[in-house]
Amino acid sequence: MFIFRHYKSLVLIAILFVIAIIMLSYNTRHRQAGRQADGFFRKLVLEAAAPFQKLMRISSTGISESWGKYVSLVGVVEENKKLEKAVGELEAELLRYKEGHLEAQRLAKILAFKESLPYDFIAARIIAKEQAALSKIVIIDKGSFDGLRSGMPVVSSAGLVGRLIDVSWNVAKVLLIIDENSNVDVMLHRTRAQGIFSGMGYRGGALKYITKNQDIAEGDEVISSGMGGVFPKGLMIGRVSFVEKLDTELFLRIRVAPYVDFSKLEEILVLVAEEKRRK
Amino acid sequence: MAYYLLLPVLSILVVALQTTIADILFSGRLVIEISLIAVIYAGFRLELPKGSVLAFVFGFVFDCLVSSVIGLFTLVYMIIFVASYAVSLIADTQKLRLVALWGFVFALAEQALVILFYSLILRFDAMSSVPFVFLPQAMVIGLFAPVFFYLMRLVEVYIYGKPLHRLERGGDSRISAEI
Repeated sequence: MFIFRHYKSLVLIAILFVIAIIMLSYNTRHRQAGRQADGFFRKLVLEAAAPFQKLMRISSTGISESWGKYVSLVGVVEENKKLEKAVGELEAELLRYKEGHLEAQRLAKILAFKESLPYDFIAARIIAKEQAALSKIVIIDKGSFDGLRSGMPVVSSAGLVGRLIDVSWNVAKVLLIIDENSNVDVMLHRTRAQGIFSGMGYRGGALKYITKNQDIAEGDEVISSGMGGVFPKGLMIGRVSFVEKLDTELFLRIRVAPYVDFSKLEEILVLVAEEKRRK
Repeated sequence: MAYYLLLPVLSILVVALQTTIADILFSGRLVIEISLIAVIYAGFRLELPKGSVLAFVFGFVFDCLVSSVIGLFTLVYMIIFVASYAVSLIADTQKLRLVALWGFVFALAEQALVILFYSLILRFDAMSSVPFVFLPQAMVIGLFAPVFFYLMRLVEVYIYGKPLHRLERGGDSRISAEI
């Protein structure tokens, strides 16, 4: 009875299911082939969401700052009401100066880093951090109009950040290296042992496929190996934070703490040309 | 028609908002998937065409903005919508404590589907994330679902003058604010 009464709705649901399955299989096939399918509607959603995300990021920063200010001023505010206004104004002014100073420092660091590497970069700002259970993604304010393409590596002054997975006209999505879906070919700087760095969300990452006979110690630096063709060789990734040798397993169990603090990331560099700039 | 026109804008707002809230409350470690709660709400309260389109649009927007595998959440949200709709036909989904329970169950179901996809298709083991990410997130959704349903009931009363009724439920059911 239900089927007869709702056959039109059921047909609609069936159509939506078919579209979803086609979309998923198409994108999975592209992904497994190492390509990223750039869809028009996906670009449209990214573009449409960008203003909201910018607005919400500004609001959330404002709320966090206000909350932090409130917490730090509890007890002091009531002590001298006369000075409250002046302190508030001075703090706001100081905050502006500090913010400007920190930004200048960050940009100087990024500029120095940009100059130190033999690649061409495009600098971009993060406008949103989008996170699901297994996804760690940020959205930046540059897109294909600025010369970005899917697959380009993204770095910060601290080290490797991730790679572009979706590029719209004015914005792009960056898959962070701590995303559980991200794998990077890496090597240990000291021993040159090669493995795969897999993201583990906010817990950092794991270094996989390092055999038990390798000499690995906590504190060893992990860098990109250049294998796989996505990331250039020698980009800083992190430091070994934990090593465990289990008798039952073939490989060592290694945890890596990334150099990049993803919670504080604001500006990044997209590596647009791997060729060395020779002037 | 206005509903279908507003849906894409609303979904973008919701997905962008949920990340901002998560960033403030949990420093980005957990996400309050308001979009998933909205899909469960659609399954429990809306008609089939409206609900299915909502699930599809929310899933697609979530895929575009958050997911690294496009299409995954579109499909998962559609499955969750159908499941929640089926549940609403056979079980009591009026009481808010039961909404919390179903929210928790559907959040776990969503994550189970995601793990299954990652394991079978992408050959990637996501089981290690279960205790750290999935269980806390399901609990967060379980906690927030009754709040969302209560707020939506207020919206329904504000718009229609009374809580929303679905025809196939015979019109004899009420949305309760009882906890």
